[in-house]
Amino acid sequence: MNIRGSHTLNAPRASVFAAICDPDVLLGVIPGCREIEQTGDAEYHGLISLRLPGIVGTYRTIVRLVDAEAPSVGKLEGEVEGSLGTIKGLATFRLAESGSGTRIDYEGHAAIGGPLARLDGRFIEGLAASLINQGLRNLDTRLQGDHPARVATDRGQQTRETRA
Amino acid sequence: MPRSLPEALSLLEAHSPELLVMAGGTVAMPLINDGISLPEAVMGLRFAGLDRLERSGDTLRIGATATLTQLLNQDAVPMLREAARNTAGWSIRNMGTVGGNLFTPPPGGDVAVALLALDASVTLASTRGKRVLPIAEFQTGFMTNALAPDELLVEISVPIRSEPTAYLKFGRKHANTPAVVTVAARIEWDGEQVAVARIALGAVGPHPIRARRAEELLVGTGLGAGAIAAAAAAAVEECEPFTDGIATEWYRRKMVGLFVGRALEQLAAGAAGEGR
Repeated sequence: MNIRGSHTLNAPRASVFAAICDPDVLLGVIPGCREIEQTGDAEYHGLISLRLPGIVGTYRTIVRLVDAEAPSVGKLEGEVEGSLGTIKGLATFRLAESGSGTRIDYEGHAAIGGPLARLDGRFIEGLAASLINQGLRNLDTRLQGDHPARVATDRGQQTRETRA
Repeated sequence: MPRSLPEALSLLEAHSPELLVMAGGTVAMPLINDGISLPEAVMGLRFAGLDRLERSGDTLRIGATATLTQLLNQDAVPMLREAARNTAGWSIRNMGTVGGNLFTPPPGGDVAVALLALDASVTLASTRGKRVLPIAEFQTGFMTNALAPDELLVEISVPIRSEPTAYLKFGRKHANTPAVVTVAARIEWDGEQVAVARIALGAVGPHPIRARRAEELLVGTGLGAGAIAAAAAAAVEECEPFTDGIATEWYRRKMVGLFVGRALEQLAAGAAGEGR
C-alpha cells in the first residue's frame, strides 16, 4: 500500500514539528489512540483502538522518528500489530512554511500481513487516508487551542492520493 | 442481545472498544465469514427496541434498526421509499437496517445519500446522554464517523417536506446493483427562484457527500438549462470518485455530470408543471 497527501495547518512550522514529537499531543490527535509512551529518544509505543464498521480491535503500535531535521523533514518507521494482522510502514513528511501556516506533505508505503491483508486494497487505502486526514485535522485544532471534536468533520485544505 | 437501549448502552460502555455492535449484520457478517473480522464480543441490537418508524408531526423518526423494508413501506417521505427500493435486493432489505446503511462503505450507502439531501439528523446516545448531529457531520471519512467509543446511533430524524425530490441511482444492472453514482436532489422555491438547493452524491467520495458548490450555484436562479449545466459541472469538479470493480474514477466523474443534470432537469420539469 502506498499513500501520499498534503494538508495545510494553521500554525508555525516549529510548533507543528514539536507537536509531532510530543506524546501528549499525539495521544489527543491520533484517532482511537488510548495510550502512548515515549520509550526512547525518538521511539513511541502506543495502543490504538478502532471501531470500524464490522471490524473492531486494538492495535499495539511502535513508531520511531528517524532522520529528523527539525523543523522541516522527518521520517517515521512504524509497526502496528493486532489480532487482525500486522502493518509495517515507512513514511516521510516535509513541513514547508505557507503564509502564516505550515504545509505538510507526506508520502509512505506499508506492507500488510494477516487477515487484514485479505481486505480489498481500496478499503485499506481509503481507511488510511481517512485516519491520516482526521489526525491532521485534530492536530490543526489542537495547535489552535480548540477541542479536537469540534472540527472533526471540517475537511480543511487537503489533498490525498493512494495507490496500490 | 440487550432488550432495551439503556441495557445496550451499559454493555457498550463496559466492553467498548472490543465490542462489535451489529444490527442487521449485512456489513459485519461477510467480514466475519471471511475471517477478516474476528470480534471478541458481539452485541446484536435486534431486540433493543430501536426498530420503530413513526411520524411525529412534521418529522419521520426512524429507529436505527428499522429495516430497509420498513423504509420501503412508509409513505411519509417518498425519496426514502425510492432510496430503499434502489438498495440491494429483498433478502438484504429484510435484514439490513437504516442505521446500518450509514456505516456501509461506498459504493454502498444509497439511503444515506437521500438522508443527506433531506437534511436529516442523527441521534447518538451513550450512558452520558444524547446528542443530535446533522447527518452531514456524522460521516467523517471512509469508514469513519463521529461516534465516540461509548456511543450508539439510535435514531434518524427526517423532516417531512412537500416539495418534489429527485433520486437517481445509476448501476450496471437495473436492480440489486452497486452504484456507479447515486444522486439525490431537492429544491425549495421562493416564488420563481431557487431558495435552497440540496444535491447529495453517493459512490463518488469517501462517504456520501453534498455537492455544496453546485448547490450554491443554483440559489437565486430559475433552475434553467444554464444553471443546471453550471451546477452539474461544479459537481463533477468537487466529487472525489474512485476506481473499483464497478466503474473507473474517470467514468464515475462523467456520470456525476450526467446524472446531476438529469436529476435537476426532473425537478425543473416538475416546477414548470406547477406553473413556476
